[in-house]
Amino acid sequence: MPLSDAAVAVRPRSPWEAVDLGVRLAQRHAGLLLASWALLTVPLLAVFSLLLWRYPSVALLLFWWLKPAFERLPLHILSRALFGATPTLGQALRAWPGLLRGELLASLTWRRFSLSRSFTLPLLQLENLRGQARRQRLDALGRRSGVARWLTLLGIHIELLLWTGLLVLIYLLLPTDFASESSWLALLLRPPEEWLWLEHLSNACYALVLVVWEPIYVACGFSLYLNRRSELEAWDLELAFRRLLERLGQASLVLLLSLGLWLPHGAVLAQETEQTAMPVSLAGSATCLLPSEDNPGPQAPRLTHQPLDSQQARREIQALLAAPPFHRVEERIDWGWSAADEPDAPPLIRTPAWLQGATAVIEVLLWALLVAGLALLAWRYRDWLRLFAVRGQTAREADAAPPAQLFGLAVDPRSLPDDLPASVEQLWAVDPRAALALLYRGLLSHLLHQRRLPLRAAHTEGEVLVLLQGLDDPALDAFARRLLDAWQALAYGSRPPPAELGPELCDAWRQLGLNSRAQAGVAP
Amino acid sequence: MSEESSLPLDGEPAAATPQPATETAASQLQRATQLVQALREELGKALIGQQTVIDDVLCALLAGGHVLIEGVPGLGKTLLVRALARCFGGQFARIQFTPDLMPSDVTGHAVYDLASEQFKLRRGPVFTNLLLADEINRAPAKTQAALLEVMQERQVTLEGNALAVPRPFMVLATQNPIDQEGTYPLPEAELDRFMLKLRMDYPAHAEELELVRQVTRSARSDMLEVTALRPLLRERDVPVLQKICAELPIDAQVLDYAVRLVRATRDWPGLVFGAGPRASIALVRCARARALLRGGEFVTPDDLKACAPAVLRHRVRLAPELEIEGQDVDRVLAQLLDQVAAPRS
Repeated sequence: MPLSDAAVAVRPRSPWEAVDLGVRLAQRHAGLLLASWALLTVPLLAVFSLLLWRYPSVALLLFWWLKPAFERLPLHILSRALFGATPTLGQALRAWPGLLRGELLASLTWRRFSLSRSFTLPLLQLENLRGQARRQRLDALGRRSGVARWLTLLGIHIELLLWTGLLVLIYLLLPTDFASESSWLALLLRPPEEWLWLEHLSNACYALVLVVWEPIYVACGFSLYLNRRSELEAWDLELAFRRLLERLGQASLVLLLSLGLWLPHGAVLAQETEQTAMPVSLAGSATCLLPSEDNPGPQAPRLTHQPLDSQQARREIQALLAAPPFHRVEERIDWGWSAADEPDAPPLIRTPAWLQGATAVIEVLLWALLVAGLALLAWRYRDWLRLFAVRGQTAREADAAPPAQLFGLAVDPRSLPDDLPASVEQLWAVDPRAALALLYRGLLSHLLHQRRLPLRAAHTEGEVLVLLQGLDDPALDAFARRLLDAWQALAYGSRPPPAELGPELCDAWRQLGLNSRAQAGVAP
Repeated sequence: MSEESSLPLDGEPAAATPQPATETAASQLQRATQLVQALREELGKALIGQQTVIDDVLCALLAGGHVLIEGVPGLGKTLLVRALARCFGGQFARIQFTPDLMPSDVTGHAVYDLASEQFKLRRGPVFTNLLLADEINRAPAKTQAALLEVMQERQVTLEGNALAVPRPFMVLATQNPIDQEGTYPLPEAELDRFMLKLRMDYPAHAEELELVRQVTRSARSDMLEVTALRPLLRERDVPVLQKICAELPIDAQVLDYAVRLVRATRDWPGLVFGAGPRASIALVRCARARALLRGGEFVTPDDLKACAPAVLRHRVRLAPELEIEGQDVDRVLAQLLDQVAAPRS
């Protein structure tokens, strides 16, 4: 299997171009890839379905979980086909069990959810790397596996799209009478056992989708891997030299090697991985040139008998490279967080003391300005604030102590005479208006302090009566009505009260036992 | 009703007209009260479940003011006016305000008479006692302004001649509260000329039940009959009633209360602008009418307070902040009434 027979033109590509190459690769070997995948997976799914007939979801999950194991088959085919050694279908299928050996458990457990699966599989399968070596190799290769992750995400969506598309296609191809809503509803309303086959059908669709997509996915991952290697190890150059070698014959081998293989370009990048650089499947072949153990390497002193030996030349080269135009010092100033990271670093500009004082003053001024602004705002809208604050307080007002002064009258109990009816009777003869006012005050005082009636300055006589009705005391109500009628007639209509009204009201007052001075707080 | 009407009203209409030489003021007042009460009950038969609106409309009639009634369609605004016109016995005219109504359609205009080869004045529908301006906000401001002069001066100037409208003259305008397409809000000057703005609300359950029962019993399709109502009041009785009403005594404190209420609206937080002196005048007149309606011999602060919302609500403007909050004028006015001290001595 000569390496120079590579079926693809190996050259450094952008990762997405490499993915494109993978698609072309899968396309070229589509028949073999699809057939091998189908022959491998479809019977397996059938077996799962039969074993887990009552649990179609579990069967599907199991099938899905085993995908990394299946993916080794297309990779095997592709790696052979790359250099023209395409296996037959039988060969590939027979090789599959052997391929499962390398770290299958890891692939199916903790690496199952790795998004760069397609990219790292060749490492495992073709380079046959394990443990520490694999990790080092991944470090060298895997710094740009972003596209591989995107490829997996893309793959998930493509799978879902194709899957739903296939299901919808099946639905669309159903005869109309069967596809009518009622029959579907009737079907879905039946016990779940009766539509298990539907789920198995959808599982089968998924398997079909994988037949198409998975080989492409593996091929894309493989080509990403190839691309990364040709970037790091100058594979393209190596293959070009090999072709030259074949054309010119063995004689020129030494010349070619001294000219080409030890160029710093590929060697520097691939230094740490040279020993295992080739795919395992290729490493055994006669034409695969690996660096020999006794090779002195680029660092060894050479040309020691020349006027300019390699060491000196190297030093001169280094000096040349360190000077312009190869070495350029560029200064850039960027914004960054410095104070938090380096607490001990001295400030770039030392602030003068007077400036610090000024900033303190300015800070105080700004705060004062803010406070003043808020105060001004509050003053500007004081009416609003009062209105809404008062509205909120109305509930609490009922519990507050009743006011001493109300309606322009002194209604505090202490301002009233001890024996109110007696005072009224005395006043009645000389000044009926004052007598009525005294009675009215007494009544209001009683209502406010004993009955806790929430009277306010805005209440008119009529409203006082309405509030009184709420107390459910007919005797008091009748008394108040007589009193207030007389009061209104006197105050607003200038109609003097009848002479007999005074003593009657006083009697009623005594009968009701009204006493605004009672401290017990219990009214009859 | 028959025992009411056997009082001085219907059987002997002349009794309602005052004879100052023979009758004392007290009995005159008593008769006026009885008359108004009878009118109130009669209107209550036609318009069920809107007693407060009837009271307010009667107040405006007694106080010589105009009324703007706001309410959703179908609450009987027009019915009320028709019933009032019927009970009142005066002339009644109705203008349906439409977007293409012209001022001359309201006030009248000169037409050329071919026979006499002269211009003749053709009087518009405003020359009446009771004018119903239906859906007044459907006409543009130009037409609405045609009512300004007649409402304030009670005269119409046509072709340079000032023509007085018959007395009593009262405008009852209706409008729908919902902001609809093709309505023009009334300008402040026009609003200020209405003594009261009434809000008609849905009747209570029991009253609506009674209403439905009566209407469905009627032969007419979907409205209450007003033909059954008896004319209780004649055209010339109304000025007399208005005079009695205007002479009702009002105490200085109550007068002061009215002025204080109106002045409070001018710097009340939540109101952009308050009511003018016309509001104080209307408030006092309306309180007098309400006292008469109540049967009182003098005006109390309660009378004043009861009609204050109707007098003030169209004369103040709510602050935009409160409008955004979803408050309405009535609520702010209730707060105001709740904080201005009532008079005491």
